Amino acid sequence: MKIRHLLFVVIVFALALSACAPKASAPEACETDAFGCAVIPEGDTIKIGMGAPMLGDYGMFGIDISQGVEVALTQDDGFEGWSYELIAEDTGGAPEAGAAVANKMVTDPTVVAIAGHIFSGSTAAAMPIYEKAGFPMMSPSATLPELTEKGSAVFNRLAFTDATQAKFAAQLLFESLGVTKLGVMHDGTSYGQGLADGVAGFFTELGGEVVASEAITPGEVDYIAPLSSIAAKGPEAIYYGGYAAEAIVMANQWEQAGLAGVTLFGCDGTYGVEFTDKAGPNAEGSIAVSLVPPASPEKDAFDEAYRTAYGMEAGELSAFSWSAYDTGAVLIAAIEKVAIVGDDGSLYVPRGAVVDAVRNTDYEGLTGLVKCDDTGECNASGPTFYIVENGEWVPYIP
Amino acid sequence: MRTSIKNGIRLGSIVGVVLIFFHLTGFSVVASSMLGNLLGNASRTANVTRLPIINLIIFITLLCIFAGGIASKNKEIDSWGNTLIPGAITGAFSGLLVAIFVYLIGIVYAQNIDLRNYLPEVGLPTINYLLFDGKKFASLLYFGLMTVGCIAGAAFFKSVIRADWRKKAQTTSVQTFKKFVKKSGIQKFIGNKITVYVFLAVAALLLYFLPTQWGPYWNYIMGTVGIYILLGLGLNIIVGLSGQLVLGYVAFFAIGAYAFGLMTALEPHAISMNFWLAIGFAILAAALTGILLGLPILNLRGDYLAIVTLGFGEIIRILIKSDMLTGFTNGPSGLNGLAQPRWLGNAFTDINFFHLIVIFVIVAIFIANRLQSSRTGRAWLAISADQTVAQATGINTFKYKLLALALGAAFAGLGGALFASRNQFTGPEDHILMVSINVLCLVIVGGMGSIPGVVVGAFVLKGVPELLRDLESYRLLAFGALLVVMMVMRPEGLWPKGRPALEALYYQKHPKDSPPDGEVQS
Amino acid sequence: MSEQKTTREQSSLNVSKLIRWIAGILLLALVGWRVYQTAFIEGGYGPDTWMRFIIAGLVIGGMYSLIAIGYTLVYGILFMINFAHGEVMMLGAFGGYFMFELFAFIKAPTASDPNMNFLNAYPLVSVLLAFIVGAVISATAGFLLERIAYRPLRKAPRLVPLISAIGASIFLQNAAQLLFGPQRRQYINPDVLWRGTGWSIPVGDTTVLLTYTGTLSLVLSALLMIGLFYIVQKTKLGRSMRAVAENKQAAALMGIDVDAVIGKTFIISGILAGSAGVMWGIHNGLFNHYVGFLPGIKAFTAAVLGGIGNIPGAMMGGMLLGILESVGPAALGLDFQLKDVIAFSILILVLIFRPSGLLGEALSEEKV
Repeated sequence: MKIRHLLFVVIVFALALSACAPKASAPEACETDAFGCAVIPEGDTIKIGMGAPMLGDYGMFGIDISQGVEVALTQDDGFEGWSYELIAEDTGGAPEAGAAVANKMVTDPTVVAIAGHIFSGSTAAAMPIYEKAGFPMMSPSATLPELTEKGSAVFNRLAFTDATQAKFAAQLLFESLGVTKLGVMHDGTSYGQGLADGVAGFFTELGGEVVASEAITPGEVDYIAPLSSIAAKGPEAIYYGGYAAEAIVMANQWEQAGLAGVTLFGCDGTYGVEFTDKAGPNAEGSIAVSLVPPASPEKDAFDEAYRTAYGMEAGELSAFSWSAYDTGAVLIAAIEKVAIVGDDGSLYVPRGAVVDAVRNTDYEGLTGLVKCDDTGECNASGPTFYIVENGEWVPYIP
Repeated sequence: MRTSIKNGIRLGSIVGVVLIFFHLTGFSVVASSMLGNLLGNASRTANVTRLPIINLIIFITLLCIFAGGIASKNKEIDSWGNTLIPGAITGAFSGLLVAIFVYLIGIVYAQNIDLRNYLPEVGLPTINYLLFDGKKFASLLYFGLMTVGCIAGAAFFKSVIRADWRKKAQTTSVQTFKKFVKKSGIQKFIGNKITVYVFLAVAALLLYFLPTQWGPYWNYIMGTVGIYILLGLGLNIIVGLSGQLVLGYVAFFAIGAYAFGLMTALEPHAISMNFWLAIGFAILAAALTGILLGLPILNLRGDYLAIVTLGFGEIIRILIKSDMLTGFTNGPSGLNGLAQPRWLGNAFTDINFFHLIVIFVIVAIFIANRLQSSRTGRAWLAISADQTVAQATGINTFKYKLLALALGAAFAGLGGALFASRNQFTGPEDHILMVSINVLCLVIVGGMGSIPGVVVGAFVLKGVPELLRDLESYRLLAFGALLVVMMVMRPEGLWPKGRPALEALYYQKHPKDSPPDGEVQS
Repeated sequence: MSEQKTTREQSSLNVSKLIRWIAGILLLALVGWRVYQTAFIEGGYGPDTWMRFIIAGLVIGGMYSLIAIGYTLVYGILFMINFAHGEVMMLGAFGGYFMFELFAFIKAPTASDPNMNFLNAYPLVSVLLAFIVGAVISATAGFLLERIAYRPLRKAPRLVPLISAIGASIFLQNAAQLLFGPQRRQYINPDVLWRGTGWSIPVGDTTVLLTYTGTLSLVLSALLMIGLFYIVQKTKLGRSMRAVAENKQAAALMGIDVDAVIGKTFIISGILAGSAGVMWGIHNGLFNHYVGFLPGIKAFTAAVLGGIGNIPGAMMGGMLLGILESVGPAALGLDFQLKDVIAFSILILVLIFRPSGLLGEALSEEKV
């Protein structure tokens, strides 16, 4: 072996080693807690993690929700001198990245709780990892029904489930709009597919007929072929389970596919200013779902704080700004209930205790009473339907 | 003289454009805050309104010093005139370009135009900062600063870096070191077998104890590096040794991961196979896929083979994700709760898993090394050099190419199964085209056909970006630039494949036959 | 084929050939049966829907052809897969975007409409200028790309410039993202050329829409292909390009400035990519820094399908790919999710039975 090769390997190894973080000091024995403690040294921040799409086509959700949580965290005075910090990592909404972010979060001793994840698929992949490590989750937007059916002790959510959303949507379609022939589309994600299947099921139960069903591939620019395929079956409305990015493209190609006069019925993923902005006049008459809380002085205060901090209106980018605020507030309350200041000046948060504290939340938030049942469903408020009129989303009154 | 002026202008334009790019993408602000962290006058996450101007000035000056140093490199006459004038030209030209740019953004600032819709990093507070806190004559300042900086850089490089006294000091210190090595008898240890064994023992000890010290985060990263070494070894056999360009390597990774997952996940089929059996199954499944894919397409020409394998990789991913096969593969939700390794009833910890990966890597390196020096390896070498001649010498090219593909696929299958098991999850988006591209890059950057090259490549391409986590958004930019720079400056890779012993011996005996410098086998 | 084979290899080759032919015929029969079933037995689609499929396929195909022509040109001359071609197209798309934004911003009040902007007052000039600017930006990018990332690697083994191209592609994508942000942007077309407007063709008792922008893209790709074919076959530059493609050293010996020819090749390829980018923006509206990646790969597939290095082949491959993606799933009764599977499968099958693509290679006879 040549000496320069030897030197090279040694240097590379040394570089790799030198970049390693210094040895973490062993935490005090939080022996009674099954998952040990989170240790936050003096001067560091109590971290709340989040896995959300921060970039790309779905970035509006991550940005909006992280901003909502940040408002809650910055408004709080902290706990005994420790302030809160949100660590939002980009997942692109994908399950794989959700698992990777989760694996990363559980290695950080200063992360105490997770506000998330945001997308259902990403949450499902991350859940077992957080379960094993004892990190409590409170999601403002993961709506997939199966998430609370797995008997997880750590997962909780503020959002309504897709089952609720699908039922209300099917009812609206059949009873209020008088649709008897429905076309169903989804974008191939577990969230979109779940919603589409749910609506199809409820709609058929009510007596309607699902005439066509198509799946599209997200990220494309031309959906005329699948749309024409559905148009050929003559639906009166089309339900779409998926996100605004694809809904925009479809709305712009609606007429070309022969779907003039057919309503585009979306979900909580298609709502937002992005849709009305980019689809322009083609968005008129489309329906989607949001979660806007009733008016109250607290809501006005939050709207003002959000506007001042970020220069945009709450609820513009996505439907979840207010749920995000409640998520942040709930997590803070749970952490402050169980955190202990240690003798060495560090803050110790027993993980199992926080998990229980989050599950036992009883908090009056912007979106209503946040009180979790034993499966992790914490909010009884249902979805509100919105329709595009004159380029703006207005509440839909049938 | 004229060439040095031309060079000066060329370098000046490059530096000017680079600085404008840094300004427009917000990197200047990030660099200033990093400098602030270093110097202690600003925190890393400070808002741009609170950054001291001096950091920006330091950043620009450093850039100019470096540029001036490069500008003044003159092979012919290293006089002061020849050094300072190119430096001045570079500085002046780049200063001119940047001054024009700064003047323009000054106008924008004066008119209060918000460009953030088109250039999100260039908000008004940022422009204010870049104008040295809103100075009206900022463009003149830039011009002066850059000219002076480049001249200073040229002077600095001439008097310190390229100075005669430094070169002398360097040679004498190297000579002293060599003498010391000879005298103290260390010389006979280098290249000695015992040294190699000692080194290996030390490496083994390090690999055993380090994971307990470096925390779970680095454990995870190094584990990923290990898995990518496995993948790189496999692709190395296909691309480096037998010369077939395969752009769909992720297909075998996916087959391995999903074969493992489907056998051990609780849904959709609750088979719950034992971890070790499932690993074996994954390897076999991947190898079989390699053979089945190879049979019809191996005779395709190089670039056609590339696109066909790319297509195959995409086909696998789309099929896994599709509605049609959701009953079989669980579709976009992926496979959860995969088997974890157990030994004698005890579950593996993260550290144990890392050791498992290391063991697999060592075994894989051993297999690859033995194969490379064997008759099979020779056959692959011949095929990659010239397939027609290889056939003429009686090698069954089809058989060997298929073998390479199957082996490479087997390695990928193992890597895929380990990756899935460690994440406790796998899904279709884990198996995208970028994975194939990443593995291909690490093989070629490390050195095509060289096993130590694969190891180095995996460290550089997977480990080093983790060190740059802070510069998250600029990471991929640097990665792309690094690839281009690496290929232009060192196309044979970081640790190129050495000549096989017999061949080296032949060229030693017949030096007139050796190929000219710089010519690399294709 | 100029290789000698042993008798044993000859016979084994015959056997594999036989297997291929049998497999091919079986496959064709299967596909034909399936199409028959879908089209006639399972109720099928009306003629208007088929028209829509075909028109959508042709338009998508036109887009792919535009990009594929540039790809195949560089490959034909340099035998190099220019992975960064999609990013060069993306830069052109940004160029066109900014031009349209500028024109929409400039006011050009007329008697009838005091709020008219330049874009709608002079749509033809605006569109032309946008194309020119987009093409110039892409041409510059292509030229610089060649100088910085490819020229030093001309003597290196084939894989090295490929990695360099991949690196350049990643760099350009991220540079665009850092400069302009990751959000998707929408083209402001002039009103006369607005997306979704076009001719309504009556079919049966409904109408099918053939958009202006779609037709423009088809016409543009045909024109560019003819123009490129003319340049390559009839001009002196084209002759030099073909000579360089045949044998670089011999061409240099004949007095051809190889560096200049290659530079000009990249400039032309850049012009083609830039036009494709602007056309993409005009027709599809939404784009961001990532817009070149997937179409780049699809265009590469299309070029290979038609026979890489062959310019009419690239056009044909692009159209075929577009139609396969739109009409294929419908004809075979499969999900539209699987359209890429169909496209790639067809590619693999075509290459198995015709290893040099549908139209073979025409630019140079040399094999690597």
